[in-house]
Amino acid sequence: MKAKGFKLVSAGLLMLVALTLFGYAKEDVTLTIMWADWEPAHLLLKLAKDFTKETGIKVRGNFVPWPQYHDKMFTEFASHRTSFDLCLPDSQWIGEAVEGGHLLDLTDWIKERVDLNNYPDMVMRSYGEYPDGSGRYYGVPGLLDFVLFAYRKDLFDDPKEKAAFKEKYGYELGVPETWEQIRDIAEFFTRPDKNLYGIALWQAPLATAGLVDEFLGLFWSKGGRLWSGREKKKVVGYLNDEAGSEAAKLWAELYKYHPKGAANYSVSEALTAMQQGLVAMIATYAAFYPALLDPEKSLYHDKIGFFTSPAGTDPSGKKHHYVQLGGQGMSISAYTPYKEECKKFLEWWLREETQWKFAEAGQITPDKRVVENDRFLKLAPINKVVRESLPLLRDFWEIPEYNEMAEYMSRKLNQACLGQITPKEAMDDIAKKHEEILRARGYY
Amino acid sequence: MLDKIGGRVSDRALKWIFLIPTFLFLLFIVIFPLIWSLGLSFCDYNAARGGSPRFVGFNNYRHILSSREVWERFAITGRYVALAVLGEFVIGFTLALLLNREFYGKGLITTLFLLPMMFSPVVIGTFFRLMLDANWGIVDYLLNRLLGLPKIAWTSSPKFALYSLVICDVWIWTPFMLLMSLAGLSTVPRYLYEAAEIDRASWWFKFRYITLPYIAPLLILALLFRSMDALRFFDKVYVLTGGGPGEMTQTVPYYIYKVAFSYWRTGESCALAYILVIMIIGLSSIYIHYLNRLSAR
Repeated sequence: MKAKGFKLVSAGLLMLVALTLFGYAKEDVTLTIMWADWEPAHLLLKLAKDFTKETGIKVRGNFVPWPQYHDKMFTEFASHRTSFDLCLPDSQWIGEAVEGGHLLDLTDWIKERVDLNNYPDMVMRSYGEYPDGSGRYYGVPGLLDFVLFAYRKDLFDDPKEKAAFKEKYGYELGVPETWEQIRDIAEFFTRPDKNLYGIALWQAPLATAGLVDEFLGLFWSKGGRLWSGREKKKVVGYLNDEAGSEAAKLWAELYKYHPKGAANYSVSEALTAMQQGLVAMIATYAAFYPALLDPEKSLYHDKIGFFTSPAGTDPSGKKHHYVQLGGQGMSISAYTPYKEECKKFLEWWLREETQWKFAEAGQITPDKRVVENDRFLKLAPINKVVRESLPLLRDFWEIPEYNEMAEYMSRKLNQACLGQITPKEAMDDIAKKHEEILRARGYY
Repeated sequence: MLDKIGGRVSDRALKWIFLIPTFLFLLFIVIFPLIWSLGLSFCDYNAARGGSPRFVGFNNYRHILSSREVWERFAITGRYVALAVLGEFVIGFTLALLLNREFYGKGLITTLFLLPMMFSPVVIGTFFRLMLDANWGIVDYLLNRLLGLPKIAWTSSPKFALYSLVICDVWIWTPFMLLMSLAGLSTVPRYLYEAAEIDRASWWFKFRYITLPYIAPLLILALLFRSMDALRFFDKVYVLTGGGPGEMTQTVPYYIYKVAFSYWRTGESCALAYILVIMIIGLSSIYIHYLNRLSAR
């Protein structure tokens, strides 16, 4: 009786093991992509059906809201096990990810499979290369993004507004070409009694999608320097020099023309301000533009135009023109068991036809084969701005310490906007703190 | 079947069979992380980079305790705790005094007062962020349109940001104070009030010499729980103000989160967490000491 019972239990266990192994053997490969939860991510998933048709490899998304994206991704990296196989980290996160050994080295693969001439140099450097200039790559271009401006065409084109502006400022009201003109226009359209304000820029004291993302376009265009260079990384005397302080002063001045409560404005607040007609201009990352033109979300969807981030002059009068780069590269998690399948996905992603489909859906590709084709200009209302901005792109620190440095900068400039400290004090404080951070991490 | 098992296994062994899973759970989920994080607090370690922790002795503690930034955050946290707990106590206790009588609908009204405590703080924080928005929020709309008051940037003004957190916290946790106060008030024997009525004692006399001595231990317990909780709060800051504007609402728990998961200074964040724990233990000791004195009386 006992022997029979033992045999039955053993047979049952063997069947269970066999079924499990059989199940694993038959398991289809599904790649998981982690990205921020926004329109380009959902579009990528839609396009990925072509990849599945071609290879049989399924693709699904693990999308995280932007404010939590960095922390979620890096908490998974810290555990040395990720729920995703592919990821699209923000360009400035690459150093942090590579130093931790969390991304697969793609250098050899890229040399064999990718024509680097298809992408602007800044794009490959920011989205894939670390350290800068090393020739080692950990990602390919994913989504090209950068800061652009949106404005109310109906206000700018109104003859009465034009006449009044010309009388007050001595030049024609139009798309601004300099940051000083941005200030004049913002001042002109600030009418609190009519619930209209000049501008909404990101002021939130955050490291990502915060003040620093939009301040740096102004900072560099005024001749500002984050540090002495990648070699020595000295900050005091560079970041807080006359150009940097002037940039901070102009930024704090622009805050006067923001709606009430703008000190914590980030992506959604600025977009909402434009959608609801609260402001005449906003700056935002280009990838968010569909929300401004969607009739279901924007009261002024048919009255919004776009222009390139303007130029500036440094204290010596020399002109500078830079546009803050955003966007994400596409990388492979070092912990995925599906490395070859992921490389197949990258290869499919980088094909010209895939990039055309992405652009035809209204998204922004950095692929020169697409961007330099005039057909590209007709695909989305911002594409003229995309072409103008491409040669002007510039990115900020990609070292692992960028998060703390960017956040401190955002907080101090936020305080300067609120009048708690002067812009010069803010820049001096930031410069000192940045050197403290770099010293603590062994850079000096 | 259980009889059969019980027949072969002693009572003592059976007791351990049931207790061991709980012990193991506590060991891995509570004890081990506590000891591990205590060890990390004496090390230079970056969890995102991995590698081995490097022992640095008391360097992390020294750095934290000599940092002006950290003390500023302790000051912000202290201000928040004092305002929030005081507000919850005054409003909760007042409501308890009003509800401590029989009237039609008492049960329903008491339940409605307790509802805020049932919701997730993150959900409430999100709703408060929307309601307190200076341009689209209902609060400023009512203040401006009905009372003619100027709009207030509740969550982004240096003057009001901390108060917006306090208001949110008071809204959620006043019911807790109300509940504890009601529990205390219900323990007071009615005949004492009746005797005081006969002697024509004033309301203040009855409150001072009858109500308060009975409910004081429970009130102190409620203040202890709320203070401990308020010192550790993080979720509302994260959702409502993000630590801003500037650094105005960067409390110690929020700063610990930033140091741990944004800057990846893992060792330092553990050290700061333990400093906070020691402070909470110290504060709790003061409350418990006072509670014991009251109980002895």
